[in-house]
Amino acid sequence: MIINWTAFLEVFLAALIGSITIVTFYALGLRLLVRSGRAPVVAPAEFTDAITVISEKEARRAEKAAAKAAKRSPLTDGQKSVALVGAYASFTVCAAAVLGGILLILFNH
Amino acid sequence: METAALIIVLVIVLALFFDFTNGFHDTANAMATPIATGALKPKTAVLLAAVLNLVGAFLSTEVAKTISGGMINEEEISATIFPAIIFAGLIGAITWNMFTWLLGLPSSSSHALFGGLIGATLVGVGAIAIDFGVVVSKVILPALIAPLTAGIIAFTATKIAYAVTRRYDSRPDGRDGFRWGQIFTSSLVALAHGTNDAQKTMGVITLALITVGWQSASDPDPQMWVIIACAVTIALGTYMGGWRIIRTLGKGLTDVKPAQGFSAESSTAATILASSALGFALSTTQVASGSVIGSGLGRRGSQVRWRTVGRIMVGWILTLPAAGAVGAAAAWIVVWFEGMGLGWLGILIDAVIAALIITGLFLRSRRNQVNAGNAMSGVAESGTAVRVKRNPPPTRRQRALAREEARRVAASEAAARKAAKSAAGDAKKGDRR
Repeated sequence: MIINWTAFLEVFLAALIGSITIVTFYALGLRLLVRSGRAPVVAPAEFTDAITVISEKEARRAEKAAAKAAKRSPLTDGQKSVALVGAYASFTVCAAAVLGGILLILFNH
Repeated sequence: METAALIIVLVIVLALFFDFTNGFHDTANAMATPIATGALKPKTAVLLAAVLNLVGAFLSTEVAKTISGGMINEEEISATIFPAIIFAGLIGAITWNMFTWLLGLPSSSSHALFGGLIGATLVGVGAIAIDFGVVVSKVILPALIAPLTAGIIAFTATKIAYAVTRRYDSRPDGRDGFRWGQIFTSSLVALAHGTNDAQKTMGVITLALITVGWQSASDPDPQMWVIIACAVTIALGTYMGGWRIIRTLGKGLTDVKPAQGFSAESSTAATILASSALGFALSTTQVASGSVIGSGLGRRGSQVRWRTVGRIMVGWILTLPAAGAVGAAAAWIVVWFEGMGLGWLGILIDAVIAALIITGLFLRSRRNQVNAGNAMSGVAESGTAVRVKRNPPPTRRQRALAREEARRVAASEAAARKAAKSAAGDAKKGDRR
């Protein structure tokens, strides 16, 4: 019985780094999007969960709250556009990571 | 030759059916969390997964040289009995897949196939043909490692996702946006699944064709019709959507929120891709389940239902022996009839029994249907919150007792009537006197 612990460690580290990269940059992108005054409000495509149902009214209210928060933001327009650029840059990093995954699928076989 | 042809045709049919069960068993791995958080409509999600599985199956057609990955010394098995062993192994794998689907348990289809083949080989050839060291290092150990690895990664990822988007001023935190991301990470998992799992069936069919001489051994690539058949079957299976397993993975383990779903799916995708790129095979199902548990632990205030986790773990432990037992029984029937020179009859009996069991399991599933409409609805939850008084149908013992009681009542009534009648008769007689 031979267990390749080095291979396992490699898999663990590669998966950890890949996963953390995607999640960190995506979350950072969302954070910067909120900072730039464009908080995303994405209502569920289907209201599946009976306990945490968000009605359309509540979704509209959330959008209104986001708009209000954006209006009250103490940031200047310049700071906001820097945040927006940062958000898009973060999403680009995520897209690149996902693309890397697809390339790995394509060329690993 | 006719017997060999019959077995090969049955092996191909069973292999394709296994591919189908593999598809619907594994839809949940990619699509349970986006369905649970409402990132995608249930029907859209399974359609997306089906298309990506179809594409994935065509992307990679390099099949494994051995179907068991070295667990069975395939050289030790003679060409005459090999198709029968694959046949019996497939029966074991399909039966276990259908059974776990009925219970809504995510379990590894490849482990079920390995279990069935090992059981069939034990009966058909003997323990000498099995390398138990490889079984431990390729099935048992990864089954412990995979959920743990994925769980730790998903836990860390979930913590990070919440930490980065946390706000203390109760203004919108934008966590809704994780729903968009979920679509991409889940799609990645579905694509990776297609490239891995359809190849297994292609390998089984190609190996069967080579064994019987319908394909030359010098050209071990799967033929075009095999690729198309496998790809279409796994896509169809995926589109059927194993809603029971989607319910378990999406709602049964923990209440998944978009940030958790995104973290869990990116952990699953990263772990699967890393494991297949670096050659340390891990089961997609076990990785996906581990990820969902890890993400459940990573969010403050969320609960992991450890009872369900326990049931799933028991399912994983039983996969190899249970599929093996069915495979062994199927192989035993073939071997027994082979001894009488009627190998084809054994195969036919196996096929009929397998068809009966599968039909029985399917009919049992119709009693409480789970589909796109109710997989994630609150009905199941309200059932646990509000204790509904249920009247289960009486057991055989209760029915016998009821019959006995009815008979006793009838007898005593008859006796009373008789007594009354005779009393009346006596009275009449008395009157006459």
